[in-house]
Amino acid sequence: MEIPEQKIFSVSEFIQLLNIGLKRSRARIVGEVTQAQVASSGHGYFTLKDENNGAVLSCIIWKSRYSMYGIKLEAGMKIMAQGYPEVYAASGRLSFIAETIELAGEGELKKQYEALKKKLTAEGLFAPERKRPIPKYCQKIGVITSKHGAVLADFLNNLGKFGFKIKMIDARVEGQEAVEDLLSAIRTFRTQDIDALVIIRGGGSLESLMAFNNEMLVREVAGFKVPVIAGVGHHQDEPLVTFAADASVSTPTAAANYLNRSWQEALLFLEKQERIIFGFFEEIFEIQRSIENKLMIFMQNFKAALANLSQKLSYAEKVITLNNPERQLGLGYSLAYSGGKIVRSVKDVLPGRELEIQVSDGRINSEVKKIIK
Amino acid sequence: MTETKNSSKTLRDDLAHLSKITDWFENQAEIDVEEGLKKVKEAVALIKASRKRLKDIENEFEEIQKEVNLDEDE
Repeated sequence: MEIPEQKIFSVSEFIQLLNIGLKRSRARIVGEVTQAQVASSGHGYFTLKDENNGAVLSCIIWKSRYSMYGIKLEAGMKIMAQGYPEVYAASGRLSFIAETIELAGEGELKKQYEALKKKLTAEGLFAPERKRPIPKYCQKIGVITSKHGAVLADFLNNLGKFGFKIKMIDARVEGQEAVEDLLSAIRTFRTQDIDALVIIRGGGSLESLMAFNNEMLVREVAGFKVPVIAGVGHHQDEPLVTFAADASVSTPTAAANYLNRSWQEALLFLEKQERIIFGFFEEIFEIQRSIENKLMIFMQNFKAALANLSQKLSYAEKVITLNNPERQLGLGYSLAYSGGKIVRSVKDVLPGRELEIQVSDGRINSEVKKIIK
Repeated sequence: MTETKNSSKTLRDDLAHLSKITDWFENQAEIDVEEGLKKVKEAVALIKASRKRLKDIENEFEEIQKEVNLDEDE
C-alpha cells in the first residue's frame, strides 16, 4: 500500500497502518525461551532468543491459544512459534503474536509426549473399562479427516454397502495448526446426531502427529458422547488420541472394516439361517413327495381291489347263472310240482292228483292219469 | 364314518356269503333243485346288493381321485 507523502498520521493511526503491513509477515520462528510469564489474564508473555547470536524477540500468546496447545512455557525450552509481528500501541513495543506454539526437536517432543501420557494414564483416561463398544449396525457416522489425500477415499471405498450415512468435517491433520481444526470439528459433532465418530489420517512421524497428542483433543475424545474410532497411523509412539478412543485401528481401511464388521456378521448369520430354512423346506418337500408316492400306490392298490371285487361278483354271477335250475327250463326241461313240492319220483304222485308243470314261460296245471314204472 | 364302516362290513360279509354259495354249487355232484333255487334267489339278491355297493364305492373313489389330481395340479 502506497502512503501519500503529504499525509500526516496520528501515532495510533500510524501504528495501525504498520500493523496492517506487519500482519502480512507471517512466519515460523524457532528459538529458545528465555523469559516466560503467564499473566493473571491467562495470556502468555515470553522471549525467544536466537541460539547463534543471542538476538531476542518478545512474543505473546493469547490465553485461548496458550491453553489449546498444552505446552507450559519455561525458560530454556526450545520451541517453534507461528504467527505475525505487531506493534502494541500502548507501549510502542513490537511483539510477535504467536498463534501456535510447539516444542521443537525430537527429544523435547518425546519428553512432552511421555509426561502427558503418564499424567492422563494416572487420571484413568486410557483405562480399558472406560472403553465403550462401537454400536452394532451403526449407520450415522461422523468422520474427521482432511479432504485432501487418499485417506478419505481409502475409508469410503472400503465401507460396505450397508446404508452408512457419512457426515464429514474437513480438518487439517498435520502440524500444530491441526489442533484448532480438530477441536472445532469434534465440538461441531457434539451437536450432531451420529452413532460413532471416526478420526482418521495417514501415518507420520511423532512430530507430524503432535496434534493428536494435544491434551485438549485427547480429553475431547475421551469424553465424546458416542464411541470414537481412531485410525491415526503411527510408527512407534502411538498418538495419545488413540489411547483415549474407544477403538483404535492403524489405517483408514481398518476403520472402515471395523464399522463393516457387525453388518458382515449379520449378513453371514442371515445366510446361515437362510440355508437352514431351505434345508427344512427340502425336508418338508421330501416328506410330501413320499406321502404322495404312498398315496398313489394306495390308490392303485385300491383300484385293483375294486376291480378284483367286480371280477369276483362276475364270477359268482356266472356260477349262479350256470347252476340255476330254472335255466334248464329254457333248454326244454320242465319242473313238475305236486302239492307244492318238486316231483323227483313216481312215488311222489298218485293218479288223480294235480300236477303242476313249470316250463320256461309259465306253468301248466294237469292231472296224473296213470303211473308207469 | 360309522355308516361306511358298517356298509363295507356288509359288503365283505355279503361277498363271503356269496363265495360260500358258489362253492356249494361247484361242489354238488347232483344239484338239489329246491335248495339250488333257494340259493340262486339268495345269491341274486346278494349280487344285486353287492353290485350297488361296489358302484357306490367306485363313485366315491373316483371323487377322491379327482380331488387328489386337483391338489397335484395346484
